[in-house]
Amino acid sequence: MPVVDIDPDELRELTGHEEKDDEELKSDLFGLGLEFEGETEEGLLQFEFGPDRLDRLSVEGVARSLRYHYGDDRGVRVPDTNDPDLTYVVDSDVPDERPYVTGAIVRGVDLDERSLDSLIQLQEKLHATMGRKRAKGAIGIHDLVAIKGDTLTDDGEGNSITYTGIDPDGDTFVPLDSDRELTPAEVLAEHPTGETYADLVAEYDRYPAIYDELGLFSFPPVINGRRTEVSTDSRELLIELTGTDQWTIDRMCNIICYALAARGATIEEVEIEYGPSSPAGERTLVRPDFEVETKSVSHDRIETMLGVEFEPREVIDLFERSGLAAVIDDEVEASAAVGTDPADLPDDPVYEVSIPPYRTDVLHPLDLIDDVGRAYGFDELEPKYPDLGTVGGRHERSRLEAATRTVLTGLGFEDLLNFHMTREAAVYDRMNVEPGSEYLGGGEAVEITEPYSEDYTILRPWLLPSLVMVLENNTHRGYPQDLAEVGLVAERDDEVNTRVRERRHVGGVLARNDATYEDAKARLQAICRDFDVDLATPPTDHPSFIDGRVAAVVIDGEDVGLVGELHPAVLVEHDLELPVAAFEFELAALGDD
Amino acid sequence: MKLPESQVAVLNAASATDETPIDRLATEADLKPETATQAVFELRDESLLDVTERESVEYELTEEGRAYVEADLPETRLYRAAVDAGADEDPVQMGQVIGAADLDGPEVDIALANYGRKGYGDIESGELAADPDADAGADPEAAALETLAGGEGADGIDDEVLDQLVSRNLLDRNERTVRTVTLTDAGVTALMEGVETAETVDRLTPEMLTSGAWQDVAFTEYNVEADAPEVQGGKTHVLRQTAERVKDVLVGMGFQEMEGPHADADFWINDCLFMPQDHPARTHWDRFALDVPPIADLPDELVDNVERAHRAGVGEDGDGYHSPWSEDFARAIALRGHTTSLSMRYLSGTEVGELDPPQRYFSVEKVYRNDTLDATHLLEFFQIEGWVMAENLSVRDLMGTFVEFYEQFGITDIQFKPHYNPYTEPSFELFGKHPTTGELIEIGNSGMFRDEVLEPLGVEHDVMAWGLALERLAMLTTGAEDIRDLHGTLADLDFLRGAEVTY
Repeated sequence: MPVVDIDPDELRELTGHEEKDDEELKSDLFGLGLEFEGETEEGLLQFEFGPDRLDRLSVEGVARSLRYHYGDDRGVRVPDTNDPDLTYVVDSDVPDERPYVTGAIVRGVDLDERSLDSLIQLQEKLHATMGRKRAKGAIGIHDLVAIKGDTLTDDGEGNSITYTGIDPDGDTFVPLDSDRELTPAEVLAEHPTGETYADLVAEYDRYPAIYDELGLFSFPPVINGRRTEVSTDSRELLIELTGTDQWTIDRMCNIICYALAARGATIEEVEIEYGPSSPAGERTLVRPDFEVETKSVSHDRIETMLGVEFEPREVIDLFERSGLAAVIDDEVEASAAVGTDPADLPDDPVYEVSIPPYRTDVLHPLDLIDDVGRAYGFDELEPKYPDLGTVGGRHERSRLEAATRTVLTGLGFEDLLNFHMTREAAVYDRMNVEPGSEYLGGGEAVEITEPYSEDYTILRPWLLPSLVMVLENNTHRGYPQDLAEVGLVAERDDEVNTRVRERRHVGGVLARNDATYEDAKARLQAICRDFDVDLATPPTDHPSFIDGRVAAVVIDGEDVGLVGELHPAVLVEHDLELPVAAFEFELAALGDD
Repeated sequence: MKLPESQVAVLNAASATDETPIDRLATEADLKPETATQAVFELRDESLLDVTERESVEYELTEEGRAYVEADLPETRLYRAAVDAGADEDPVQMGQVIGAADLDGPEVDIALANYGRKGYGDIESGELAADPDADAGADPEAAALETLAGGEGADGIDDEVLDQLVSRNLLDRNERTVRTVTLTDAGVTALMEGVETAETVDRLTPEMLTSGAWQDVAFTEYNVEADAPEVQGGKTHVLRQTAERVKDVLVGMGFQEMEGPHADADFWINDCLFMPQDHPARTHWDRFALDVPPIADLPDELVDNVERAHRAGVGEDGDGYHSPWSEDFARAIALRGHTTSLSMRYLSGTEVGELDPPQRYFSVEKVYRNDTLDATHLLEFFQIEGWVMAENLSVRDLMGTFVEFYEQFGITDIQFKPHYNPYTEPSFELFGKHPTTGELIEIGNSGMFRDEVLEPLGVEHDVMAWGLALERLAMLTTGAEDIRDLHGTLADLDFLRGAEVTY
């Protein structure tokens, strides 16, 4: 879950609530869903919150939410913007994999160390979340003073910068934290930041590049150039975002712009001019996109979802305290209802709710109902047990498993619960079994793609290896050790819809000084008698068992498993110093079908 | 008079005049000491024997004590060396005397301390004087050691000397209770009149029962308080017990159990749940993808509906995700990260047909997460999953259901913290009070399934759902501190055998 680091003094300043102490702030933020996690070394308070409200990734956004919560602000607020003076030209050389760009100009910023840190934090956190570690969207913030417009060669008019693609070694620039001219390919090979993000562009034929009149100044999504580095002296910023989805980078841009506007900066639009053969298709956009969208939600739906009856005016109030704005959107009374006395509102109105452009989480009217619930306080709701007549019950296999465990424990077996994941050696080599052989356990195991632990690389194709491993790990414990498990085994089988044949097996081991075949067979007989199934044990062979002391378990005519004395080689491999008799068979054989 | 065999033997070995210690009686009667002791007390209870208890103190030389018997006490050696060096006339250098006395290590301090204590002379500024009148040869401590080493008792030795030697750690003092036995008059009389051995039996045999011989025998008494040997019965795994308990509770609340595949298409595991395909939890770091071909069959219409929900949302005012969506990814097989895949299968109608409200379903089954294995995290664990479908469910119904469920496990004061899940809205993290410590702990995640989840599945009613790790509940209710003791091949049999049963 995302974490935001907040300077409590700054929060007091931005909310205008100097009187709130840290504890009050923590408690108010908990009400908004931001949970206090601890303090950083610099004394910043850390809060964790759900990844829905990414507009709260900075102190400015948190302060905004608090002001709504306190009722200081109401409804949707959109920063004023000035008309565009700069064009981002997107040409046909832009990499197909990363076709989109957006941005804004911000003037009149007043950054001190603290607010610059906050801006960089917001940028990094947006990268980590919405930006999917910069793969989906990456933000570049530049000092506008260092940029010279008019890079257009042929049809140029006015100020512009160009988003294009270049050969990996097609040009050079001095990246941040460096003092050498490097090509983009050299950045990936030699610069620490380049190394970190090299994977993002590794497959690209051409690397993303942004030019102004003076040349290459940014290599998104990897690193900016040093020429346009932002400092506390910067007064005007150029913001550019590139990515794989226009909406995503537009929203990231909005969140940044709202944060800067909250500190008194002025936002100025830019034109995004996708050229005729740019991979995104020809069109011109004006950004940032502060358009306020609306969704409709009915009063009735709010009441049924929250289980509370409301007056329409209460609902409108709760919307406004969530930073939304709502008007009654009744087909008949639409125009009349707006601004009318709340007492005259219809009984089951439909609200047209305006959603501010920094919200990234409102996909459906439901999300607006959640906001109403949060503003109302879910704590206030009285739980009630739903009066619904349903009949409970367990499925057949669940009952069969439980009954089998009862029989096994009645026979003195300790019921075990082992992992379904294991490693090849445990089920094959250490049990003397060749992978791919016809024997029980020899089937093709289901492999985990790119396993991270060498102990867990496959699903177990049979049970006994797990039980023998438990014996191996408990040689210091009292004997006899009679262990059993009813559990999942799996084999690769392309005939099955999911390509994995999942079965439940019953396995048992008897480790005791005088364990013999007969001990295992006796218990097997008892189990079969309890489930009223016929057992036959014709001789067979299996490399995990002693020849001549192993039989197939044939239940009601079906060959479903094995019973026998484990081979000394298997025992020695598991550091066992006493004989072990064992059985394993399919659980389904005990059932009625 | 008839008495059991051991009592007869003890009675015969005892004397009316000499106090015989029980040890000696046992030897003479050829009985094990504990058998003899038991017989003695039984005979005392019959007033045939008197038992006298006496505290006996015995002294034994320590290793150091024995060494000084051989080599003399260090202070004695020092005194002799001092006299030899003429210290009885003029003080001499201490170093010189110590060397001559053959003292080293801790013996030096011992010698000097006792030299002064016994008045052998003064020690001042590194010089040693010897009192010519002292008689090191007649030292009572040395004499006592000599006496005890010779095997004689401590009777003639002054208590103060003994205490001194014990405090010098040259003697060990052992105190014990010695029981001696004498025949009473009744005992003597009984012996004179003749005592026979009664037949006592250790075990009741089938023959005794059939022959009626049981009527003529006495049964040996057992020490019924003694611990018996350990017996190891079989027991249902402690986590399974908790699972059974949860299933009982849910069945009692009207829930039907679901089942389904552990290895499933990402479609059922994630796409149906409206989890965007570029969600961090769907990267290969968090899931266990399996090296098998994609799923053979998915319901075509459902796949279209789900893709449409991801791309465009549902409903007039719905928006989709701005994330890529590919059917190939949806068809890839992985181990399920939650059993909500089962809920999706059941709600879609593919498992038990279309469901009309009201419905309640649950499962307590294994899920797989690629987490770091530690005391509270496993790669495989059990998830308790449940959902309720009905017309017009509210979040209050959801709250009421969970309050009821957790109360069955002693967890009360449930709090609902608003939360975010891609598949539910509103969503709540559930917190409850720990049944013993009282602290607030997270006990589950819940919410109302989104329209983007339900509409593609063809569900036209409200569905509320929740999930919780069974291990978390088991750790709360059993007090287990390391989850690895509970689950997996590292299981400690002693832990499982000793685990308290759940009911």
